[in-house]
Amino acid sequence: MRYLISRAAAALLFLCIFAGTSLAATDYDQLFRQSSDLMVQGDLEGSLKLLKQVPAPAPGDDGSAFVSSRMQAARIYSSQGTPEAAMEACREVLKLFPDNSEARNLLTALEKQQKPRWHTILADCLRFLPALAKGATMTLLLVFCTMLISPLGGLLIALGRISTFRPVSALCWFIIWFFRGTPLLLQLFFIYYGLPALGITLAPLTAAVIGLGLNYSAYLGEIIRGAIQSIDHGQMEAAKAIGMTYGQAMRRVIIPQTYKRLMPPIGNEFIALIKDTALVSTIAMVELMRSADQLFNTYFNITALVLAALIYLVLTTIFTFIFEKIEYRAGIYEQR
Amino acid sequence: MSSAKEPLLKLTGITKHFKNLTAVNGINLEVQPGEKLVIIGPSGSGKSTLLRSINLLEEIDDGTITFEGHQVGYVTRLGKRHLDKPHQICALRAEIGMVFQHFHLFPHMTVLGNVMEGPLTVQKKTREEARQTAVDMLAKVGLSDKRDVFPATLSGGQKQRVAIARALAMRPKLMLFDEPTSALDPELVGEVFDTIHSLADEGMTMLIVTHHMGFARELADRVIFMESGRFLAEGTPQEFFCKSQDNERIRGFLNRLL
Repeated sequence: MRYLISRAAAALLFLCIFAGTSLAATDYDQLFRQSSDLMVQGDLEGSLKLLKQVPAPAPGDDGSAFVSSRMQAARIYSSQGTPEAAMEACREVLKLFPDNSEARNLLTALEKQQKPRWHTILADCLRFLPALAKGATMTLLLVFCTMLISPLGGLLIALGRISTFRPVSALCWFIIWFFRGTPLLLQLFFIYYGLPALGITLAPLTAAVIGLGLNYSAYLGEIIRGAIQSIDHGQMEAAKAIGMTYGQAMRRVIIPQTYKRLMPPIGNEFIALIKDTALVSTIAMVELMRSADQLFNTYFNITALVLAALIYLVLTTIFTFIFEKIEYRAGIYEQR
Repeated sequence: MSSAKEPLLKLTGITKHFKNLTAVNGINLEVQPGEKLVIIGPSGSGKSTLLRSINLLEEIDDGTITFEGHQVGYVTRLGKRHLDKPHQICALRAEIGMVFQHFHLFPHMTVLGNVMEGPLTVQKKTREEARQTAVDMLAKVGLSDKRDVFPATLSGGQKQRVAIARALAMRPKLMLFDEPTSALDPELVGEVFDTIHSLADEGMTMLIVTHHMGFARELADRVIFMESGRFLAEGTPQEFFCKSQDNERIRGFLNRLL
């Protein structure tokens, strides 16, 4: 690949030089010829060195040799992937011959490829950031509300499922069956658009928190139940043997031992939650995803989406670290 | 033991079925205050089930349990037997200490926390009182220096001594030991036996299930041999372990162990 490029560049430059030499002052014919020979051999460095030997034009000189040499150098630099040096060569020409259109055009073309891209992206970022930050705040609000509700709901559902009282365990089984078995999107639609038909109208935020809270309670319920049942049965017996009630044994002995086991799956769920909040954009909530979508549709600019993706990544990364810390803390008693 | 004294624990006709197996089959037993009773027998003979039935970790199918002269654990409603109310059951368990084969210490609490837990949560004592009790009990089992470590750092023998301290902290009137040394390395058995011995010297009433015949002979006031859910023989250690043991089953069992 490199070989092909250098060959193509060499051929192109050779043509330019050919055209240039006929215009150049005769003193430099020899130098230009050597330079193009080196170029054909692939020695771009050597060629550039020769070209630089052409001095700035003396008074009375038309400067055509100087212009040709610098423009050739600029093309070589540009083909080598060092546009800064190419632009420098163009500016050198323009300093003495401000009207030289060739140098002007090349410089403009190079500048367009360079600085302005970062400029516009940065400007876009600054323009989009306030709206996205507002959206991200709403996303975080939803996440925190759900993080408060779902572990409590999950614990109740888990204890209900374990209960030997049939109606309670059946009810909890049903809740899990329903909320795990239907799409979250559908549940949100039902709560926001469906409940008004039954005379219950909810604000978008309320509907979103209820929907997310119920859905995640169902998932966490199963996770917590699994963790509780994974604790050695002997722990419950030992607690009972010193006279504890079922409730005391659960609160003091069993549930504290589940924390370490709960952290990895719950961390997973909460990271999924951060992304699942995007679904509430369908029930008239403006959160991070919706903000990004609005910006994208207004400006047709992909930067908004990239920025939103970065914000999601930052949030999930922070959560990952927090949960790793908590997991370590929760299991500290197991260390020998 | 004089029979005039009221027994601390009296079992009559205790029966427990598991699916199609009768683990305990109509056991009658009286335990006098201060008595040390050792139950031996092959595995699967129902020793552990009997022990667990006494503090209601196992719900029996028939029979009565009388503790300090009161019938406990079960009530009859409309001619059907039910487990008593939870707080009654908890109250009974609080008076009976139990030590398990696999210790079952609470791994998320320190050694002191384990021993404090009963007085604190069940007896609702203040933190200071519970702490004092726990400190005393740990001193008794010789583990005062291990107060603040987590159980994971202890040896098996130390764990079992903490478990004994945890049971003692409730000031029980009866101690049940369910194979307390079976999960221990041989060199750790001694320290646990010494602890149980010193407890016996203080006059604690104990029911011990064990496979260590030497220990049974040394400690027991009475030895019971159990097989297939029934008591096959009982007597003083002298009678039981004498060479002229005439019960062929027991002789065979003892010969395999000694």
